[in-house]
Amino acid sequence: MLFMSAAVNVAFALSTMGVWTENPGSKIDFNRQIRPLIADNCFSCHGPDEKERKAGLRLDTRDGMFAALKDGGHAVTASNPDESELVARIETDDANSLMPPASSGRKLTADQVKLLRTWVEQGAPWADHWAFEAPRTSPIPAVQDKSWIKTPIDAFVLARLEAEKLTPNGEVDRETLIRRVTLDLTGLPPTPQEVDAFLADTTPDAYEKVIDRLMQSAHYGEHMARFWLDAARYGDTHGLHLDNYREMWPYRDWVVRAFNSNLPFDQFVIEQLAGDLLPNPTLDQQIASGFNRAHVTTSEGGSIDEEVYVRNVVDRVDTTGTIFLGMTIGCARCHDHKYDPVRAKDYYSLFALFNSCDENPLDGNAAKHPPIVQVPTPEQTLKLAQLRDQAGATRTRISEEVAKTPYDSALDQGQTEFVERLDYVWFDDELPPGAKQQGPTPWSLVANPDHPVLSGGRSARGQYEAMGQQVFESARPLTVGEGDTLFAYVFIDPTNPPKEIMLQWFSDGWKHRAYWGENVIDYGADNTPERKPMGPLPKTAQWVRLEVEAQAVGIKPGTKISGLAFTQQGGTAYWDKAGSLTWTPQEGQQFDTLSAWIRTQKAAKLAGLPGNFQEILKKERAARSADELKALTAYFIENGYSKAQQAVAPLKAELAKTDQEIKQVDDSITTTLVSRERAEPKPAYILNRGEYDQRREQVERATPAFLPPLPPELPKNRMGFARWLIMPEHPLTARVTVNRLWLQFIGTGLVKTVEDFGLQGEPPTHPELLDWLAVDFRENGWDTKRFIKQLLMSSAYRQSTRVTPDKLARDPQNRLLSRGPRFRLDAETLRDQALFLGNLLIDKVGGPGVKPPQPAGLWEAVGFVGSNTAIFTADTGNEKVHRRSLYTFWKRTSPPPQMTIVDAPSREACTVRRERTNTPLQALLLMNEPQYVEASRGLAERGMREGGSSDEERLVYMFRLATGRRATAREMASLTGLLNDVRAHYKAEPEAAKQLIQTGETKPDPSLDSSELAAWTMIGNTILNLDEVVTKG
Amino acid sequence: MDPIRERLTSLTRRHFFGRAGVSIGGAALASMLAEHPIRADSTQYGGMPELPHFAPKAKRAIYLHMNGGPAQMDLLDYKPKMGEFYDKDLPESVRKGQRLTTMTSGQARFPIAPSKFSFKQYGKSGAWVSELLPWHAKMVDDLAIVKTVWTEAINHDPAVTYICTGNQLPGRPSLGSWLSYGLGSMNKDLPSFVVMVPRWSSKSNAQALYNRLWGSGVLPSKYQGVALRSQGDPVLFLSNPSGVDSTTRRRMLDALDQINQQEYESLGDPEIQTRIAQYEMAFRMQTSIPDLTNIANEPKHILEMYGDEVTKPGSFAHCALMARRLAERDVRFIQIFHRGWDQHGDLANELPRQTKDVDQACFALVQDLKQRGLLDDTLVIWGGEFGRTVYCQGGLSKENYGRDHHPKCFPTWFAGAGIKPGVVYGETDDFSYNIVENPVHIHDLNATILHCLGIDHRRLSVKFQGLDLRLTGVEEHHPVKGILA
Repeated sequence: MLFMSAAVNVAFALSTMGVWTENPGSKIDFNRQIRPLIADNCFSCHGPDEKERKAGLRLDTRDGMFAALKDGGHAVTASNPDESELVARIETDDANSLMPPASSGRKLTADQVKLLRTWVEQGAPWADHWAFEAPRTSPIPAVQDKSWIKTPIDAFVLARLEAEKLTPNGEVDRETLIRRVTLDLTGLPPTPQEVDAFLADTTPDAYEKVIDRLMQSAHYGEHMARFWLDAARYGDTHGLHLDNYREMWPYRDWVVRAFNSNLPFDQFVIEQLAGDLLPNPTLDQQIASGFNRAHVTTSEGGSIDEEVYVRNVVDRVDTTGTIFLGMTIGCARCHDHKYDPVRAKDYYSLFALFNSCDENPLDGNAAKHPPIVQVPTPEQTLKLAQLRDQAGATRTRISEEVAKTPYDSALDQGQTEFVERLDYVWFDDELPPGAKQQGPTPWSLVANPDHPVLSGGRSARGQYEAMGQQVFESARPLTVGEGDTLFAYVFIDPTNPPKEIMLQWFSDGWKHRAYWGENVIDYGADNTPERKPMGPLPKTAQWVRLEVEAQAVGIKPGTKISGLAFTQQGGTAYWDKAGSLTWTPQEGQQFDTLSAWIRTQKAAKLAGLPGNFQEILKKERAARSADELKALTAYFIENGYSKAQQAVAPLKAELAKTDQEIKQVDDSITTTLVSRERAEPKPAYILNRGEYDQRREQVERATPAFLPPLPPELPKNRMGFARWLIMPEHPLTARVTVNRLWLQFIGTGLVKTVEDFGLQGEPPTHPELLDWLAVDFRENGWDTKRFIKQLLMSSAYRQSTRVTPDKLARDPQNRLLSRGPRFRLDAETLRDQALFLGNLLIDKVGGPGVKPPQPAGLWEAVGFVGSNTAIFTADTGNEKVHRRSLYTFWKRTSPPPQMTIVDAPSREACTVRRERTNTPLQALLLMNEPQYVEASRGLAERGMREGGSSDEERLVYMFRLATGRRATAREMASLTGLLNDVRAHYKAEPEAAKQLIQTGETKPDPSLDSSELAAWTMIGNTILNLDEVVTKG
Repeated sequence: MDPIRERLTSLTRRHFFGRAGVSIGGAALASMLAEHPIRADSTQYGGMPELPHFAPKAKRAIYLHMNGGPAQMDLLDYKPKMGEFYDKDLPESVRKGQRLTTMTSGQARFPIAPSKFSFKQYGKSGAWVSELLPWHAKMVDDLAIVKTVWTEAINHDPAVTYICTGNQLPGRPSLGSWLSYGLGSMNKDLPSFVVMVPRWSSKSNAQALYNRLWGSGVLPSKYQGVALRSQGDPVLFLSNPSGVDSTTRRRMLDALDQINQQEYESLGDPEIQTRIAQYEMAFRMQTSIPDLTNIANEPKHILEMYGDEVTKPGSFAHCALMARRLAERDVRFIQIFHRGWDQHGDLANELPRQTKDVDQACFALVQDLKQRGLLDDTLVIWGGEFGRTVYCQGGLSKENYGRDHHPKCFPTWFAGAGIKPGVVYGETDDFSYNIVENPVHIHDLNATILHCLGIDHRRLSVKFQGLDLRLTGVEEHHPVKGILA
């Protein structure tokens, strides 16, 4: 028995408002009257939680309620209260046996005791909890005033009102209606032109056309996204500890697109929970799956990975529970739920569905916390394609060059592949590639036969009166390996020997030197690796090899030497052929034979070679197949063969440059966090008391036992879970969703506790309507725009908001819809409306978060010193500071005060219902915050420029911009009186006037008199603070 | 207040009250409680009708939160035996496999670092106090020092969120917002929960704070703490824009009130009346907040008591003085978050910088409250979010060392209303590692604060997602009887 008679229904609804008018004689409904009572008062000891259960009695199941007690009696004997221990224990005067016990802090009222007795008298009818049974449509109720019915919604609403003997209000005036619906669908007010067009349109479907027009606006998606982003706990920072920047705004923009394209809600669910698991997911579907990653994360030093991993998954499960199931399953993390039939096992079975994201639980304080996807702009995609084409062409040319330069394998005969150190010549005849000459004396490269030359065609001659040297830097480096020896050759002119010669090597500074002869060159600390003595001058008139162990001059293995100096104290010396005795592979090194190349690869432990070549080289030479040899040879020609390198090396340089450009473009592409499943799911366990390190029984992936089972044809993963949510027989998803939309437009959900449809939640005020809407939504393709339109077309929505004392007394919170919805605009809408009215709002959709100015020091006051969001720097330029509030950068540990003062949540945790408060801090914000003041001036400028020439015309115009309607005579009198006073004031105080109108990012219109503009700015400020303007009425 | 304003204000208010009485029913009045005394015999605005649960000892509280984890064995938990254990490993029998943060869990050894600071006994209570807290030493007989507070959290973000909101994860109401929600406000010119975040002097990275520490969580945002700032407007957006003086604002508000009143007459929505009242309170705050922050009339001897820094906005001393001025004005809950107590290394130099920031001003605050009689109905609390390890993190010498986080014991002191003065409560082992007597969970600590304010912590709850959400969690906790007067 799901529904009750209308009379009981009304009585119940009033009870939820705290006005209990129950007549104990009427038929009692278990679901709405009894279960909440016993849930609240009894379940903590007699409920689903086995561990806490007292006396073996449970009252949350039919079996438990009617079972025999241990001592023989019954808690409840149907129709016989005097044989029911439950009744006895709540009626007793004996403090020792009274239930609930005083120690619980709970106490039943006399009415509640009586109600329970009456219920037993009536046969103790039992029903399962309404929200766990699939919604069913009931017939649309008959009503007396049929003229009021515009949609089926109205019939349900009016039936309740008529039963309560309340009369709904008539339709609100058209100016107010178009403002209401425009704010509700776009988060912005209508323009006077839109109001005029609506007033002039006398066709019956004029209002419907307005709705259709608004739903086509891109602002619709921006406005709708806001509510979802609160639920999805979207932010631009990680939210914990350092609270560094997180790059995730493509997800926010996806939500906007999803609403604008009216993505069916079932698809909206699938793509966010499991878009990554769709076959060949589109980029958008992957972006959507970021929903599972939007929770807060940490990388606090000292954190334990496993603990953080559990927290991350818990957030996913709890958020999913709140948004889709409308259930507070989080309690079952630590123990079986006290009120709802959610066991710890159910919780961890859900946990198992969300625990296998392929991620490091710690975010590394990185903006791009993997897994991520790239979200390139069209320009970036194009540029990348071009560069990749270019790289491909270069690769083709390289292949052609390789083909043109055959290698004769006969060259390898007699050559070994054993690793040995050989001279690698870095300098000979000319400076290495990239080298830049340094110092006052240029290199003097001289040739035979006038000068001695050891190798090649030239040597470097140094001839000086005093200290002199030949120096280069920035060369293609010489890489030093373990145990390498540096060398150079010198020939000292016997007729003019230097007093001292010195070799110097450069790597992150000139601090590695060795010298021969007298110690007169004053470089570096004496007798250290910075100035290492090597002995007397070498023999003259012959080429002498100078050798220095790299370690001895402080050059560690792995160092890249990029500079060299031949230094001498006077005299004449020739220098030739410098390098290292090494087996370390060198950049740009060329080889005459395959064997020589292989030796170097082996010395480098095959590092940097593609895997298949590593395997080939591990084999003995004889063991390599012909094909392997062929492939190896081709690779060698391309990468090391001296005869090919002249042609190939420049091409490879070109390719490297292109690859570098590709990397630059690639790195500049925005990314966003997404879901990606590990190859092997992680096992999940029941965690005792929710503690990460107290694993108990292992659990399988499953949906909660009290809800329909996961059909066998669905996969046991997030995708299966998402599809399960949208099954027709699912009792919660559709109800919870339509209820949240109802909240958005009407101000309170049909179930007030939109986050809790469980036993502790408030039952619906209009249960049949809720079910009708849920079924209607599902059966019409989960069409969100259709659903909203149907709601906005209703008479219930279109009512005037006027309230009489009688209605206020009988329907104080408007839960019965005895009048139109009226409540303060949300933070974002308030600011956007002000910017819009002030002609400041930038009409651009999407993009990275922007930072409009905020008072100094807010981030600094809380931020970790090392955080990259510790210091707030406001953006400049109206293109950034006047964007819609949806795009304001959201630092979760210090969200923008312009938003939080007006009840925006911090986005640290899932929020499906914003509170609405009314505080003095809000008044200060709206009166004084610079952007609101700037908007006041903007509104004033519009009044002065567009409103007409008289004060009256201008006041009417400004008032109408903000409210949609013409001011009454009394309102005009108040505004005119104010205008006259502030005008006189600012005429007398021109400096103050200038200061006022300078407030904000934009400059005041210079053609307007500043005192006059200041006076009108105060009018603008007044209008923007009017209750009517800050309220959806 | 100038006469014109006063007249206008009273006019508006009389108008407002008069009308409210005539035209608004009881249910509607409920939504306006923020502006009406809840009982004829008190000056309480808002709050839960059933609160306080019993006669409160404290009407208000000041919480001095030392953020980062002050090292207890260098301040208030004297461990003379540790001298013999210098550079010896922490016995496994003490650690008992307890988890460590990953900052030290990889250390090969856990060598004990005895405090390098000397301790003496003071006062009638004979409490041991470190040389770093000479001013605290003078007031030990005003304090109840609990040495045995403990928590489960071992990292800053979860630990500080836990002690401030009762849960390690974000999203729950903070202590101050619970008090505002439960007890309402005692004045109509100032917020009921005020937060200050002073500068600190240690040099290494200070830990972060989070707005959630004074946020309202699932409670309406009007209960969240209001930051009293040392930079710019003391309260956000308090000042009129440049070029708008108070008279002009008053004139604008008169027109605004008139038009809103006309709207109320036509629509009848009591929320409009509330809005009018809130604009009037905003206007009063434009006077009351500058009155609050203007310390020109504080006598010299009072300023001297708080120390040299007191005249510098943003210093702890200045905030302490503000706390007294807020308490005087009947602000319900005042919380100061002093950062920089996270001495992983260089403790020998860093910790004295921190104690120098707060020691004298804490003393001055307690004495200042006492001499005004305010300590009789004001509770003062001092403490961090966890303690530190007796073993050294990083390099150890007799002269310097560092300490990692330690959740299993740390001190908090209480003073004032409802508290037994001159008490040292609870005992830790020789290593200040485990509690051997009278453990006090952070939920017990919060239960104690609530108790002093007349609240049974088990009965201060709000329904949220099917849970009776409480500051002190779902398990059994108790106020600490041993320190209650």
